Amino acid sequence: MILMNTVREYRQKMSFTQEELAIEVGVSRQTIISIEKYRYKPSLELAMKIAQSLKIKIEVLFYFE
Amino acid sequence: MKLSKRESSILIEMIFAVLFSLIYMPFFYGERLSSLDMTHVSSKAIQITVFAIIYFSAAYVLLELSFKQKTIQDERDDMINSKSYKLGYVLYELSLFLFIGVLLTGSSFNKNGAILFFVLVLLLMVSFIKSLFQLYLYRTS
Repeated sequence: MILMNTVREYRQKMSFTQEELAIEVGVSRQTIISIEKYRYKPSLELAMKIAQSLKIKIEVLFYFE
Repeated sequence: MKLSKRESSILIEMIFAVLFSLIYMPFFYGERLSSLDMTHVSSKAIQITVFAIIYFSAAYVLLELSFKQKTIQDERDDMINSKSYKLGYVLYELSLFLFIGVLLTGSSFNKNGAILFFVLVLLLMVSFIKSLFQLYLYRTS
């Protein structure tokens, strides 16, 4: 099972840039890039912050494939 | 290949290790078979300290001028740092065992020049490998 995410899709829907989302959740832009490329698995706290910022349920944003 | 501010700062550390090896290690290699007196070593240590201060000051000023934005230390940085420092720690431990082993068995270590050279080689190698691994993690995770 691989942890996938739809961060890029919902970020673009909300018209956020990677930089803006990074500032919103308090991480670096590189971290957002890594999450979107499935290279880095965020902590539950960060995942929830991203979900909150993108106004989407966490289980929609992060899922197993 | 575009490097981030953090990757550049790791590169600065790696370049320092390389420069140190090129500039100062020939001296310690040359002195490996002799008994170094402390006055000779301390003058070299002062030279190295001055060189390190100048190098790091210049490098970090350049880095700050090139990357104006403030860097945020987040959980990814903590994860990468903990992985790379763990590797560094394991390598230091292995080096220590290697050092003790060589010290107990090798007859060439009856001069303090040899001990100093061997310790410096180990420290440089471990530091360089740790930084290289850190850079690798920043590029791939």
